[in-house]
Amino acid sequence: MMKLVVGTEAMFFLSLIVAFIYFSLSPAFRNLQQSTLDIKTTGMFSVLLFSSSFTFWRADANCRKGRINRLKFWLLFTIILGIIFLVGQAKEYMKLLDEHVNLASSTFGTSFFTLTGFHGLHVVVGLIILTIVTCLAFLGDFDAGGSSVISTVGIYWHFVDIVWVFVFFVVYVVPHLM
Amino acid sequence: MVLAGLWDIKQSSIFNVASPQADKIGAVGNGFLVAATGMFLLVAVLTVYICRRYRARAGGPEPAQTSGNRKLEIMMVGVPLLMVTFFFFWSLKTMSAVLPPRPANRTPDVIITGHQYWWQADYPANRISTANEIHLPVGRKLLVALRAADVIHDWWVPALGAKMDMIPGTENYLWITITRPGTYLGGCSEFCGQEHAWMRIRVIAQEPKDYEQWLVSQAAIDKLPADSLTTKGAGLFMHASCSSCHSIRGTAAVGTDGPDLSHFAGRRTMLTGIQKVSKQNIYLWLLDPQKVKPGAHMPKFIFGRDSLLALTAYLSSLK
Amino acid sequence: MSRLEHIRIPEPEKPLPGLTISSDQGLIQWLSSVDHKQIGIMYLWLSVLFILVGGIEILLVRIQLAVPNNHFLNPEVFNQLFTMHGTTMIFFVLAPAIFGFATYFVPLMIGANDMAFPRMNAFSFWCTLFGGLLLYFSYLAGGAPDAGWFNYAPLNQFSYSSSPGIDYYCSGLLLAGIGTVSASVNFIVTIFRLRVDGMGLKQMPVFVWMILINSFLILAAFPSLNAALVMLLLDRELHAHFFNPGNGGSALLWQHLFWLFGHPEVYILILPVFGIFSEVFPVFSRKPIFGYGFVVASGVAIALLAFGVWVHHMFATGLGNTVNNFFAASSLLIGVPTGVKIFNWLATMYGGSIRFSVAMLFAIAFLVEFTIGGLTGISFAIVPIDWQLTDTYYVVAHLHYVFIGGSLFGLISGIFYWYPKISGRMLSEKMGRWFFWLFVIGFNLTFLVQHALGAMGMPRRVYTYPDLPGWGILNMISSLGGGLMGIAVCLLVYMLFTSRKTGQIAGSDPWDANTLEWTTTSPPPLKNFNLVIPVRSTRPFRDWKRPDDTDWAREGVNNE
Ligand code: HEA
Ligand code: HEA
Ligand code: HEC
Ligand code: CUA
Ligand SMILES: [Cu+2]
Repeated sequence: MMKLVVGTEAMFFLSLIVAFIYFSLSPAFRNLQQSTLDIKTTGMFSVLLFSSSFTFWRADANCRKGRINRLKFWLLFTIILGIIFLVGQAKEYMKLLDEHVNLASSTFGTSFFTLTGFHGLHVVVGLIILTIVTCLAFLGDFDAGGSSVISTVGIYWHFVDIVWVFVFFVVYVVPHLM
Repeated sequence: MVLAGLWDIKQSSIFNVASPQADKIGAVGNGFLVAATGMFLLVAVLTVYICRRYRARAGGPEPAQTSGNRKLEIMMVGVPLLMVTFFFFWSLKTMSAVLPPRPANRTPDVIITGHQYWWQADYPANRISTANEIHLPVGRKLLVALRAADVIHDWWVPALGAKMDMIPGTENYLWITITRPGTYLGGCSEFCGQEHAWMRIRVIAQEPKDYEQWLVSQAAIDKLPADSLTTKGAGLFMHASCSSCHSIRGTAAVGTDGPDLSHFAGRRTMLTGIQKVSKQNIYLWLLDPQKVKPGAHMPKFIFGRDSLLALTAYLSSLK
Repeated sequence: MSRLEHIRIPEPEKPLPGLTISSDQGLIQWLSSVDHKQIGIMYLWLSVLFILVGGIEILLVRIQLAVPNNHFLNPEVFNQLFTMHGTTMIFFVLAPAIFGFATYFVPLMIGANDMAFPRMNAFSFWCTLFGGLLLYFSYLAGGAPDAGWFNYAPLNQFSYSSSPGIDYYCSGLLLAGIGTVSASVNFIVTIFRLRVDGMGLKQMPVFVWMILINSFLILAAFPSLNAALVMLLLDRELHAHFFNPGNGGSALLWQHLFWLFGHPEVYILILPVFGIFSEVFPVFSRKPIFGYGFVVASGVAIALLAFGVWVHHMFATGLGNTVNNFFAASSLLIGVPTGVKIFNWLATMYGGSIRFSVAMLFAIAFLVEFTIGGLTGISFAIVPIDWQLTDTYYVVAHLHYVFIGGSLFGLISGIFYWYPKISGRMLSEKMGRWFFWLFVIGFNLTFLVQHALGAMGMPRRVYTYPDLPGWGILNMISSLGGGLMGIAVCLLVYMLFTSRKTGQIAGSDPWDANTLEWTTTSPPPLKNFNLVIPVRSTRPFRDWKRPDDTDWAREGVNNE
């Protein structure tokens, strides 16, 4: 079921990404994109998000082997990485808003905030789910083993990361390739 | 009688062909009509035949339980496939004949802009602009550029061939060659708001020499007011903010939010086809635009009867 | 071959969600129900309610259009009415009716006792219902949406439509969309997980196949609508610039996103109906479906092609001949698998023993009417013809021939076929025939002439029209036909209501049918099955009733 949900979510992001690309064909858009976005800082935070996929994978593997303490550790690690990523995104938003780039300022603002905003929303949802799962872990729900909860949540969390790969590429990398 | 009636009906329809573009489209249309009728009859006749032949009879035996037949299936795929392939190529041919690419360096013969709810027509070569009734010459392959000022509109005159959307932010074009002089009716064909219904199109196709003459008359400046009533009207027009939306060549009125009113009274219809141009109709329009054409973007002004008469006199002097 | 044993459905460890509710709780029981049958019934009544609403809306429109230069409605009201009519019919009549049949019969047809996620099933239904209510709340909030069901930009922007109608359009459809997507997830999991032992994919009834395909189609198509609606809401509420060309936005982006959803949507509304016909034709012809594999495969082909044709709604937007040609080709191709289905149904009837029940009458009428609608669809796929006829009444004729002559006929056929199972009582065949003729004649009167109106130059969505030769009389015919359909629909609703109590008792298998839902009582008990007959072909019940002439034995011989 989670795979189906993720599949339909992927189509949703596809539409947003297509809209972004559609508008990015205009030169004014390109200029703003190049002058306002800072690939280095965001790149760093992105690496953190990608590594949270790794930490989650460790959590999943440990869960399967029944090592509940390690599971708790990796889950917490994942959550922290997710939060740091969000903080990075928030800082970037603040900076852009200071420069008067916002949802209503131009098509760049419109499509940038919509695309990254929806991704951020998915990270938030993911963090909430992770927090719940972590609580369950601490309450001992996984002690018995055989639960598929962690791998199901994993599908979602990896999906959120993979979406960011595409978003990062389209929004931050592409202008430097042109 | 019946024939005359049919002829009338033909006038505003796609069967009234007055351009090679419409002719080519008509040909593939008729071709498809024949093929589709054939296909339809095949299905219909089979249905009726099977229903009559295999009606259940009381106490009849259980029918043979056949569940498939390779050869038949191949035919079910093959025959329609052939048919659509045939029409695909016909369609390709027609499309490149009707709408070949636009040469980069050619200025359009006329630029038509759709507004909520009226048409603006600019003739770049002659630097004139008119509205609503669109004059075109016969016998020339015209490049018509299509723009929109606000929302999406759509240009469609069935007798002249393809329709084309007018989309804000982009410019579309059509090629139109008119073969016979006459008046051709059409209408805006993309829903564009309250008065979409009353965005009718009148194209007046003229022999080249009549057309040149019309161009000259349009470029001329309207006669100055002759009597006191029209003078008063002209004054009102300039001061009562009409001039901020409308333009009249040779005067201080240069607004562009409403139709150009130069030589307004020389037109047959007003308000894109709702009514004929007449003193009474102008009067009623100015009295309360929202009653005549609800939703039109012209406000109601509070004028006395005298002022209305003066404005009406002025507008109907603009021949 | 010996007769196989029943398959015993194990008693559930926890009580089935539906079983925890006792039946003496009246309305509360319905409101809190998670039983797939009750939810299915609620979907169906929802659809009946909205067809009355959507029908009244368009009858007012037809009164306005009966004569030229009419002043019965003002343009503002008119535009709201046709917009609401289209939106209602598509999202709150056809879609809920399809989901109603699917939630009711998919579990029964695959020998399951409920959907995979019963609570989510209820969630889907309530989302749909509240989506519809939200849409209609706009009338109270200051004006219904008025930019047509596909709501083109930039007319949908605040500067051109400042009443809150379009905001309700967005939120209502978003909510209903969430319901639709979650229902699809539910169907897919149900069909993959809960089939009774022995029912492989090749033994699945065609209806179940079509629901499966349809669910994937929904999962892929709805997100682009949802994305577009969210963008539009951002535009309207937070002054974003997706769709307003004045600020660099794009009018065409909306069209691409909308039709990328919109075209698959129209197939979403026809594929399940093809499934219904694939049950009705075999039962009333006493033959197996002809070319099972082809019927299913053509469904898959239609679903795949559906994503490659959306630009055929935009042939007149000036995208250029190359683009148009590509989409013309795919649109023409889609006629081929559809044709395969039509001919296979004809072949199913051929050589059969046809019983003309009302369900079958509608199926037969469908063959003819849908072919008309399909062929006019193909005529649009020939781009030059579309250049003449797009956005005229010819399109209105096309869409009603496929929606009514296709989808609605199928749903009505389904009602007559399955009503006995749902209610335990028959719908009167005699009154049904009256209804059939009234409806079919009214339908053709209304929409056949609209082909001519389109060709005669009448654009769609006009609140009135000049008195051009021929226009008045044809519109009058069309309006009269609409009235006839109205009477017919009232008759149907009357029958649906009264037959619940007074209809003839049906028994578990009134049609001598083939599939599992007919093996349980009518109406089925809360727990559908304790025992399921063995499934070895698409017609398990017939195999069971005629052990000397089973499909699987026959096919086994054929294969050797
Ligand atoms: C159930 C809904 C449904 C279905 C099934 C279809 C089926 C088809 N539709 Fe239709 N369509 C709509 C609902 C539907 N449509 C709606 C609602 C609109 C208007 C939206 C709006 O603007 O408001 C629309 C508009 C529409 C347009 C745009 C018109 C315009 O606005 O300019 C086009 C253009 O190509 C089109 C094409 C087709 C084609 C090619 C098919 C094909 O799938 C048809 C295939 C079927 C057959 C062909 C008949 C059976 C086949 C045979 C008997 C075999 C032999 C046939 C051949 C060899 C051709 N449709
Ligand atoms: C399932 C889809 C569906 C169905 C069933 C119908 C049913 C009907 N449609 Fe609809 N139609 C659409 C889908 C559908 N339509 C769509 C998508 C559009 C495009 C919208 C747009 O352009 O945006 C459209 C547009 C449309 C138009 C074009 C409007 C325009 O462009 O200006 C017209 C015009 O004749 C029309 C007519 C009808 C008629 C007469 C019926 C009849 O069949 C209706 C029959 C039913 C009834 C009449 C109800 C009976 C009830 C009563 C009589 C009241 C009883 C009261 C109580 C018991 C309380 N429709
Ligand atoms: C806010 C802008 C605005 C102002 C001010 C305005 N008009 Fe208009 N006028 C319009 C628009 C827009 C139309 C086109 C209406 C339509 O057809 O939908 C129009 C149409 C007309 C027409 C019909 C033109 C035709 O070709 O059919 C006349 C005549 C006219 N206006 C006269 C006047 C006069 C006289 C005044 C001043 C008293 C005036 N207008 C003030 C916007 C304006
Ligand atoms: Cu302009 Cu419709
Ligand atoms: Cu389509």
